[in-house]
Amino acid sequence: MSWVTVIWSMIAAASLTLAAAHLPVWARNREALPSLFLALMALATAVYAFCEMAVLRAQTPEEFAAVVRWAHIPIWLVVVALVGFVRTYLKAGRWWLAWSVVGLRTLSLLLNFTTGVNLNYSAITGLAGLPFLGETVPVPIGTPNPWMVIGNLSALALVAFVADASVTAWRRGNRSAAVTVGASATFFALAGAIQTMLVFWDVVRMPITISLFFLGLIVAIAYELGREVLRASRLVQELHESDQRMALAADAANLGIWVRDLARDELWASVRLRAMFGFTQTEALDPERLLERIHADDRDTVRQLLVGAPATNTEYDAEFRVTLPGNGVRWIAARGRVDVDERHRPTRSRGACSDVTARKQAELETLQLRQEIAHAGRVSVMGQLASSLAHEINQPLGAILRNAEAASLVLQEVPADLDEIRAIVDDIIHDDQRAGAVIDKMRALLRRHDIDMSPVLVDELLRDVAALVRPDAAARQIKITLEIAEGLPPVMGDRVHLQQVLLNLVSNGMDAIDAASRKDRRIAVRATRNGADTLEIAVSDNGSGIPQDGLERIFGSFYTTKPTGMGMGLSISRTLIETHGGRLWAENADGGGARLRFTLPIANSALRQPP
Amino acid sequence: MNEPTVHIVDDDVSFLNATSRLLVASGYSVKTFRSASDFLAQNVAETPGCVVADLQMPGLNGLELQTALGRTPNPMPLLFLTGQGDIASTVRAMRGGAEDFLEKRAPREQLLDAVRRALVRDGQERAVRSRQRELQRRLGKLSAREREVLVHVLQGRLNKQIAGDLGISERTVKLHRTAMTTKLGVRSVAALTRLAHEAGVSTTDGDTFPNGQ
Repeated sequence: MSWVTVIWSMIAAASLTLAAAHLPVWARNREALPSLFLALMALATAVYAFCEMAVLRAQTPEEFAAVVRWAHIPIWLVVVALVGFVRTYLKAGRWWLAWSVVGLRTLSLLLNFTTGVNLNYSAITGLAGLPFLGETVPVPIGTPNPWMVIGNLSALALVAFVADASVTAWRRGNRSAAVTVGASATFFALAGAIQTMLVFWDVVRMPITISLFFLGLIVAIAYELGREVLRASRLVQELHESDQRMALAADAANLGIWVRDLARDELWASVRLRAMFGFTQTEALDPERLLERIHADDRDTVRQLLVGAPATNTEYDAEFRVTLPGNGVRWIAARGRVDVDERHRPTRSRGACSDVTARKQAELETLQLRQEIAHAGRVSVMGQLASSLAHEINQPLGAILRNAEAASLVLQEVPADLDEIRAIVDDIIHDDQRAGAVIDKMRALLRRHDIDMSPVLVDELLRDVAALVRPDAAARQIKITLEIAEGLPPVMGDRVHLQQVLLNLVSNGMDAIDAASRKDRRIAVRATRNGADTLEIAVSDNGSGIPQDGLERIFGSFYTTKPTGMGMGLSISRTLIETHGGRLWAENADGGGARLRFTLPIANSALRQPP
Repeated sequence: MNEPTVHIVDDDVSFLNATSRLLVASGYSVKTFRSASDFLAQNVAETPGCVVADLQMPGLNGLELQTALGRTPNPMPLLFLTGQGDIASTVRAMRGGAEDFLEKRAPREQLLDAVRRALVRDGQERAVRSRQRELQRRLGKLSAREREVLVHVLQGRLNKQIAGDLGISERTVKLHRTAMTTKLGVRSVAALTRLAHEAGVSTTDGDTFPNGQ
């Protein structure tokens, strides 16, 4: 076999191999356009190699001319694909140069089929023999086609385009690619152009070997892309490393991680997350199966988050209970985020979960404890009021008894005065309701009670409290006045707990007045608006006030000045007011006596979600 | 004499009416008052009867009513009712001379008994006070010298001794004694002694006569 056959076949085979290697890359990832262009160049080079081999084997001038004509098709493709590659890979190069190259080359192709015998010759009159690699190859004898100058121009434009693109890429810092692609493309394009010009303008007599230059070009480009693949594989490894580190960190932090592909509706969950929800490592998961494990009371809230978050593109967090198979209930805190594509469409959501059962339990215990203390405080306040409350109840009960006794006497008269009996019965019913109301009020205060926030009318609140303490105050000769500003909005709070705080403050005030033994004995309860979102309630007495160093100490636990005091009242009151998002403090009034003030959030501002 | 009246004082209208009904149905004449000051504003000094008052009232409370009532010339017995009596106020009330101290829900018999006792005591006290006033009126007629003689007589001294003590003649002593018995409307020394005792005239100090109002 001749060397020509061996070498040109190998060029074609090498090109086809490169095409075969890079075409699938593009097929899998349509965005990998450089691979597509490289594959096209390689395919065209293979075709061109066969054409060139046919040229070297041509027996007649006609055969030679025809093969050269057809060889311009793969040349066109190589040039166009090279322009495409440079544009997509280096992301540089002037568009007008790119279009000039493509335009000139396309024009050359048209001229190739319309003028002379091909682009290069107007006519070939004969073939001369030239020794080449140990055999004789044909060299044409004829007149060059003047239109060939268009082809040469396109080659020069190509060189200019590649060189310009490489410089731009270099300047941008993409140096190795600029060198590899720019230098090789410039070199091989220039070499091919020079060779054709020298040969076809009849300056030098030698066979055309452009396929060698083409092969060099695509090998250089393939090498560059290969390095890219290497880099990618290194990235994959680094990614894997970082993934491992993430997993380690997540494990250490007891975090379960999940990712949900919204387009494919697929859910991936880490081993720990699966464990949190009671799934094995291999079970198939979908959002619905996760939701099933969430406590029935929390499920709808979480479902709304899962459905709603992608729609609003928000971050979210939630705390919910998970019921494990085997009836264990765990508290899970979840944070999630939705990723969006460049058109702001949600693509996937991801997040982390952690088991917060221990914290939740501690919170619940604290809350329970706080409620127990509050309850104890309420019972203690009620204890102080017990004698006046007994009076409150004995009053109507006594009236009922006297009325009933009177009725039985009236009935003994003949004839009985039925109108009087009727009046008596009406009064009895009225007094029974009165006693019932007192008992209801007491029971509401004494009941163990969970904190239950709802809008509370300040007016009603203060009047209820005043009604509760008035009998006691009257017995102690203390006048209680209410000053409620007009048009106060409702506050957000727990009625019973607010009553408790007020009872405590008023009852303290009465004790202070007793201790000061003044003649004019009064307590004023004032409610005023205190800014956009809060209002203030102040309880002032005219006792002897609080020593300056005691203004803060009185809120400590077990601080008391009374022989029978528990020293918890103000401490509990402050806790309760702070639970309401308000503040409780003490000061001395100008005219003597103490003033205890607290703030409460008004109802609609408390309802407003934090931003 | 007027019919004895039960005066009920309570800020709780409902209880006031109910108690009034019971007492009326039990045959008493009743007046009701919403507050202690309303009651004191009425001039009830000459009305026989008693007061039934709530201990815990706004304004003037029961104990203050008791003090105010004590200052009047003819105090009525006071009967306290309370929803919930504590020991301190009970003690104060009883020490202040309260007729009784009852819970508001005490049985009817207790209330009626207490009212009856109070009215009886009022009648007695009124009789005693009017007799004392009568005696005081009579003692008031005596001249200074006659009073001196009276004290000496009550001390059991003879006319001669009295004359010696006072530096007057025995005859003058006799004249004073006659004028004295006439003014006081007594005939014997025994009756004189009883009257003086009733009126509270001291026999140890010549100048101390009970204060005639």
